[in-house]
Amino acid sequence: MPTLPINIGSYLVNLCSALLLLTCFAIVAQRRLMACVDLFALQSVFLAVTATLVAYLTGIHHIYLAAVLTIAIKAIILPRILKKIVRQLNVQREVSMYVNIPTGLLICGGLVILAFFITQPIVHLGFLLTQDSLAIALAIVLIGFFIMVSRLKAVTQVIGFLMIENGLFLAATAAAYGMPLIVELGIFFDVLVAGLIVGIYTHQIQEAFGSVDTSRMKALKE
Amino acid sequence: MRAIDFLLIILQIFLVLGLSPLIVGVIRRVKAHLQCRHGATVLQPYSDLAKLFRKEPVISTTASWIFPATPYILFSSTLAASLLVPTIIAPMPLNFAGNIIALVYLLALGTFFLMLAGLDAGSAFGGMGSSREAIVASLTEPALILSLFAVALTAGSANISAIVYKTAILQGIVLDPPPHLMALVALFIITLAETGRVPVDNPATHLELTMIHEAMILEYSGRYLALVEWAAGMKLMIFLSLLANIFAPWGIATTLSPSALGLGLLVFVGKVVGLAVVIGVFECMFAKLRLFRVTELLGAAFVLSLLALVFFYILRV
Repeated sequence: MPTLPINIGSYLVNLCSALLLLTCFAIVAQRRLMACVDLFALQSVFLAVTATLVAYLTGIHHIYLAAVLTIAIKAIILPRILKKIVRQLNVQREVSMYVNIPTGLLICGGLVILAFFITQPIVHLGFLLTQDSLAIALAIVLIGFFIMVSRLKAVTQVIGFLMIENGLFLAATAAAYGMPLIVELGIFFDVLVAGLIVGIYTHQIQEAFGSVDTSRMKALKE
Repeated sequence: MRAIDFLLIILQIFLVLGLSPLIVGVIRRVKAHLQCRHGATVLQPYSDLAKLFRKEPVISTTASWIFPATPYILFSSTLAASLLVPTIIAPMPLNFAGNIIALVYLLALGTFFLMLAGLDAGSAFGGMGSSREAIVASLTEPALILSLFAVALTAGSANISAIVYKTAILQGIVLDPPPHLMALVALFIITLAETGRVPVDNPATHLELTMIHEAMILEYSGRYLALVEWAAGMKLMIFLSLLANIFAPWGIATTLSPSALGLGLLVFVGKVVGLAVVIGVFECMFAKLRLFRVTELLGAAFVLSLLALVFFYILRV
């Protein structure tokens, strides 16, 4: 059973959730694709730490398994796949985006404020342990969406997608102390398969267009 | 005011004046070590200051009164600002004299005069440095104010001594992780920008195209240069004390007993030297950003400090 007092536990969980949000902002401000992948891996590590803390403090054991899977899939396997893609494509940095980085940061700030506003009425009803995590999880989901629509390169769009997944996992941990084990296993498998498929598709896009710039796909005609 | 308060103020002045060259020396030493150079000893800045004070200053014939007056204004305003920041004891004797706003604008006063002096000497580099410093200063100022206010809201006071005292007494319970973490990251970025450290400015460079702070003080020599350098060291020390004592006030003295003061002194020196090492490592890990990329870094600091404030307002009230 947990030996930490609940307020220290809540303190640590909130700290880790805040670190997740900070890595989101680092990804938004980052141009180099390799660094984006590394930051995503770091975010997944923080997510796993949060999940482990929640598992330890609540005594719900299957969250440990989810944390281990997070480390294995999102912090090790998927970043390796993505890095391999980046090396093969030979694109190191994102030169053009739909919005420049300072504007992107301000938009993300607005999205986070929006997330806080939406969750504000329900945050007090949640578990004491993960009170702030729900607001932060929604903010991460919104930032993930923003990255998916604002970046042109397929690789960063994938990172945006995976960030949304991280946000949803955090939300599940915060709001319901984790989903049933079978659902979590299904999601991890989905994410892994999605990562593989996207890897293959990125190659196809590269071969067809000579670039992984997805905005060029607008030129497709029947 | 009691006699002990005067003693504490004098102790604080000597601590800030005496320790700031050491911090600069530690950062240089760490950088030299990481770059596989021998490097000067950590005491080298003291010898530099002593040498500069003995040299005769040279003043450009086009310079007005602003040029020779600026080092004194800069030095005294920075020293006054340092008296508002708790170092080894939490309620500073002079805490009634000013709060966060006084601290930020005392520092801004020195920066403002330094910018004027850069223009005043009439050299092209000085003007370029001043215009760049104006960009950086105008971007850091809102972020600095907001990040300090985010912490002030949790503590319920805008007085730095009160913030540190409350956090120290309650053993970190006042600390509120998500907003404070954002404020801490913002304040760290601002520290690097305000004190002219690597991602924003390079303190070791004399390459005309990249320098900011060095360009402004290019025309200074002798005792004026010594005062400007010393003030820069004190500013670094103020920011490091803010980082150390607002976010980690562990070990700071909250009573006047000699043992608490001694422990406070030891812990403070340890924390500040530790932060100096962190900054030295940071400088070796990152390349200097292009001037137009600096807005991205400082924009991130601004957004984070704003979010820290908004977080408190929305989710904590």
